[in-house]
Amino acid sequence: MSGKRTRRRPNRAAAGIALALLPLALLPLALLPLALRAADASYATPPPQPVELRMSWWGGNEVHRAQLAAIRRFERRHPHISVRTEYTGWIGHLERLTTQIAGGTAPDLMQINWNWLVLFARDGRGFHDLESLAGTLDLRQFDARALDMGRVGGRLNALPAGMAARLFYFNATTYAKAGLRVPQSWDELMAAGPLFRERLGPDYYPLDLQFMDVTALARSWYVQRTGRSLIDEQAQRLTARVEDMRDMARLYQRMVDEHVIPGARERAAHGYVAPEEMRPWIDGRYAGTYQWNSAIGKSVEKLAPGQKVVLAPYPLQAGARDAGLLYRPAMMFAINRDSAHPHEAALLLDFILNDPQGVRALGVKRAVPVSRRALQVLAADGLLAGLSWDGVRQVATLPNVVRESGYFEHARVRDGFIDIFEELGYGRIDVAEAGVRLHEDVNRILDRVIH
Amino acid sequence: MNVAVLASRATPPATGTTGEGRRTLQLVLRYGVLIGVGLLMLYPLLWMVGAAFKPNREIFDSIGFWPQSPTLEGFVEGWRTGTEHTFGTYLLNTFEIIVPKVIVTVISSVVVAFGFARFRVPGRRVLFALLIATVLLPKSVLLIPQYLMFRELGWLDTFLPLYVPAAFATEGFFVFMIVQFMRSVPLEMEEAAVIDGCNSLQVLLYVVVPVIMPAIISVALFQFMWSMNDFLQPLIYLSSVEKYPVSLALKLAIDVTEATSWNQVLAMSTIAVLPSIVLFYAAQKYFVEGITVGSVKG
Repeated sequence: MSGKRTRRRPNRAAAGIALALLPLALLPLALLPLALRAADASYATPPPQPVELRMSWWGGNEVHRAQLAAIRRFERRHPHISVRTEYTGWIGHLERLTTQIAGGTAPDLMQINWNWLVLFARDGRGFHDLESLAGTLDLRQFDARALDMGRVGGRLNALPAGMAARLFYFNATTYAKAGLRVPQSWDELMAAGPLFRERLGPDYYPLDLQFMDVTALARSWYVQRTGRSLIDEQAQRLTARVEDMRDMARLYQRMVDEHVIPGARERAAHGYVAPEEMRPWIDGRYAGTYQWNSAIGKSVEKLAPGQKVVLAPYPLQAGARDAGLLYRPAMMFAINRDSAHPHEAALLLDFILNDPQGVRALGVKRAVPVSRRALQVLAADGLLAGLSWDGVRQVATLPNVVRESGYFEHARVRDGFIDIFEELGYGRIDVAEAGVRLHEDVNRILDRVIH
Repeated sequence: MNVAVLASRATPPATGTTGEGRRTLQLVLRYGVLIGVGLLMLYPLLWMVGAAFKPNREIFDSIGFWPQSPTLEGFVEGWRTGTEHTFGTYLLNTFEIIVPKVIVTVISSVVVAFGFARFRVPGRRVLFALLIATVLLPKSVLLIPQYLMFRELGWLDTFLPLYVPAAFATEGFFVFMIVQFMRSVPLEMEEAAVIDGCNSLQVLLYVVVPVIMPAIISVALFQFMWSMNDFLQPLIYLSSVEKYPVSLALKLAIDVTEATSWNQVLAMSTIAVLPSIVLFYAAQKYFVEGITVGSVKG
């Protein structure tokens, strides 16, 4: 038996190698569909001089429908240009775009987020300089501040489609039940906490904040007090001293202690879901949100019937020279720097942002536009109304000159803030320690991410 | 028969009833616990099916799974989707990816496993260790190099990057599983086949494959379910919407600034899990045998 085995061994080894190579033989089979497809494509050769653009965006169903409608109108206007649309939901869009940019296969025109500029265009050469396309793309419709948000290293890398800021929206129905008007100042907001507990019960809170919102609120409060941006990009660190960060931590602690916002444990009891999908928000027990004016629609839509949400005046500290708004593009568009057809891409971008037809197709579904001509068109159509538009008008009246660094919304920086506030919220550290950690940890993160 | 009845009645009553009673009690308890825990585990799935028939608002209002005002709107609107294509396109795309992927995975994994289990190839141990090492390698590490490779091949925005790699037995786990299974199969049958004049390929086809069928079915099922749920690879490799599989299509409607129509998402999820469930029940017998035999006797 063992003799037989030894004799067969060389044979077996040869067969083994042959078998190991067999998968290679499967390759042609796997390639067959490709060949068929290639034959298909050569059949459908489009008419001469055509240009094919690729455009990518993220969004929900309504955005997809509106954006597709706008593109169809554009193709009718410019029959020689066809647009291939590549859209996804929000989840995964950054991962895909990162791979595409790394692989040099990014679309000609892409929707990006403002804080992605610090990822893809650190030196200002990440995207096509839109100012060089000013002949095709009408940049005069955009005010200097909006343009400034897309400029990196003196080059216009991206153009904001709409601007947004976090503002205070309150459930007026609940406030009426408590016999209060919606807060007009920091003091009124703080005072509402005990009154809510007393008059409506311990389940009712004047405001609901996630830790991300806490970070943004604390920043606004800091900017109002100091008149400086929170992050100094040049120095790669916070402008705040450790005492300032401790005051931010104390602000959070005070809001929880005085029943202004639900504590971390109380919030966690409602599950890990989006704030607007939490039961207490839906039925009005959490009576306020510090939300982007571009996104307030989703919160209002979820409310149980019979409730009304209003925009409140933005609270200002005495003597504040700046409201500390985090006023930034709700989304931006950028053109691939390696695009073979930058002019056609600019044509499409101009159509979406400035042309009445394109503007009407999109309406205010993405955000209230910043382009002056778009605003005129939408105003004439009576589309400029509602909470989001209220927000735009409020922002225009507020002192708002401090420009925050894009690194404030860098994922690592944001997570740094959230982690520490979370530990504070769950009582793992006290206010003093949170202040020190906010100062040291965030500075360390900033030093690492800013180059 | 009467005698039998009488005889059974004649058995001593006291001990019989208590013994039987205890047994019934045990059964009731055992099944009670099983059903209770089973329901608890299945509740999210049941809830998904129930919620698919709810209007969107009701989804957050109640935790109960029975819809108060049932509607088919979720299915109708969800099937229509927010895109230019219906959900059917995405289902078809999924199968266009999965079917070839499962087939080439099974063939390549079995062949490679046969090689590892039965042949003394030089460096076999090292090669096997390397293969196992690839199981431990996080997939995301390979993402960008692979993306660049497929770009050079001109395969981007086609289904090829999604299933061609599977033709090279790249899922080390499957090879490992089949190797373990083959080790538990006695060599004598194969030796008998060799004496009868089979070559190696014939031994594999006529003797080994029928014996390891449970393992093969497990591999096919696993690959089917994993590929069905795979989100990252299609996301990276497919850019045209008309080529999206279900996993991408389901997330197309979920945005950060827009309220999500969860009833549509859940309705389409319900449709999308059906193939997996049907397949699993059809192959359940082999599937369970496949993973347990491989692990116990290995």
